[in-house]
Amino acid sequence: MAVVNPVPKLYRSVIEDVIERVRNLFAEEGIEEQVLKDLKQLWETKVLQSKATEDFFRSNVQSSLFTLQLPHGLHQTLQTSTASLVVPAGRTIPNFTTAELGTSNSSANLTFPSSIGYPIHVPAGVTLQTASGHLYKVNVPVIVTQTPGLASAPQHPLHQLFQPFGPPSVIQTGIPQLSPSALQVTTEKSQRLDTVFPQPTLLQSGIADRKHLGNVTTDIFVPPGNEHRIMSEALLSQQESPQYISLPGVVFAPQIPPIDANVEPALGVSTSTTPTLHGGPFATGPQGAVHQHTPNAQCCVLKNRMDGCDSVQEPRHTEEPVSLPISKKQSNSQMDLHIPAIDDDINEIIQIDGTGDTSSSEEVGSTRDVDEADFPGTADGED
Amino acid sequence: MAYQLYRNTTLGNSLQESLDELIQSQQITPQLALQVLLQFDNAINSALAPRVRNRVNFRGSLNTYRFCDNVWTFVLNDVEFREVTELIKVDKVKIVACDGKNTGSSTTE
Repeated sequence: MAVVNPVPKLYRSVIEDVIERVRNLFAEEGIEEQVLKDLKQLWETKVLQSKATEDFFRSNVQSSLFTLQLPHGLHQTLQTSTASLVVPAGRTIPNFTTAELGTSNSSANLTFPSSIGYPIHVPAGVTLQTASGHLYKVNVPVIVTQTPGLASAPQHPLHQLFQPFGPPSVIQTGIPQLSPSALQVTTEKSQRLDTVFPQPTLLQSGIADRKHLGNVTTDIFVPPGNEHRIMSEALLSQQESPQYISLPGVVFAPQIPPIDANVEPALGVSTSTTPTLHGGPFATGPQGAVHQHTPNAQCCVLKNRMDGCDSVQEPRHTEEPVSLPISKKQSNSQMDLHIPAIDDDINEIIQIDGTGDTSSSEEVGSTRDVDEADFPGTADGED
Repeated sequence: MAYQLYRNTTLGNSLQESLDELIQSQQITPQLALQVLLQFDNAINSALAPRVRNRVNFRGSLNTYRFCDNVWTFVLNDVEFREVTELIKVDKVKIVACDGKNTGSSTTE
């Protein structure tokens, strides 16, 4: 039998010890207990991310782990903390028991660690909502995996994230894997994500529309498809017309009027042709299926990611106006506000790739952040 | 006051980063963060000796050695760490060691 690795236990005991020691300090300063919990979660998350110890999470899981089990017909919202995500390692389907969010029957608080070393299975019918208000409905069972390292390139997660996905009817069986890096990105950038897409609009497509997705190879992140919820990542549907933004290899499904679509592959990125490039942007978004992005954001994100895809611009421009009205219906005004900003950024970003790019790196960076945040639940492993 | 030696470790750095995030969001004061780090120093210094009993042997080429302010700093190359069950090879190892008094303390990277 191998020697027992003392590192995970040691780290855990040190963390527990320190947190206990400073509990009084925090109280004296008049700081809420929640801040202390945030500190602990942040700390644990970072240690996990560092892969300093493989077993770290396992030992830690028990306390913060909650299983998520959502029947297809049940809409549940998963709320994730923005500070850090703690996800039980090695667990297949977590069971959620949370209060209902919006129209959903129940909402679950799910904490995902920024870096999850193991795949997370999210059954269909689960609605995930980040604390920031992003909603993600998992119409299709999704497996969120994490890859080591931060997904600096959104494209990477998407690439890995997207895998051939069976027809919607096979939702339950087809469980695409999300790149972990995407997850990381989303979690780590949860703050940015919040700033980028505050409005919890879910993009929903009709069941019929979703079926189209099934035909296309798609990676399905935790599809947020709850009623009245718009997923920023938006479902990709090549078949969909004006409301869908078509990018080479990537299809976005614009918001669709809330429809009870238990089977909807809420969040899906279809990469019909190349699973790489186009998949990338999305992957970052849907990471961990925790992020909700407006469809416009998706377009923007994709646009940004698709540096080399000029064609993207056109559809984007055309699509956005179309999706705007839809989004307005279901989303907050904030989303609309984001669009123009994103467009500007996108324009600049697209030009950036060229030689004549003079846009500031800051803008790009911020946009990139937004883009990464745009794609919820895409856990895409880095290349 | 315990050695602040372990702040530059995975555990220590992750704690510092987390504290920095809280400071950024103005949830805690820098002074409080410093207090937390001091507590961390105490906690880890007092946790290592009784909790860790593993024995590891390592052999490599000594690149540099330094002894300053009662602190040893070594840089080794092509090091093999041997534990009972596993062997790990690394190209470069930096060892920072403070006087252990009763127990040796060191950190490597």
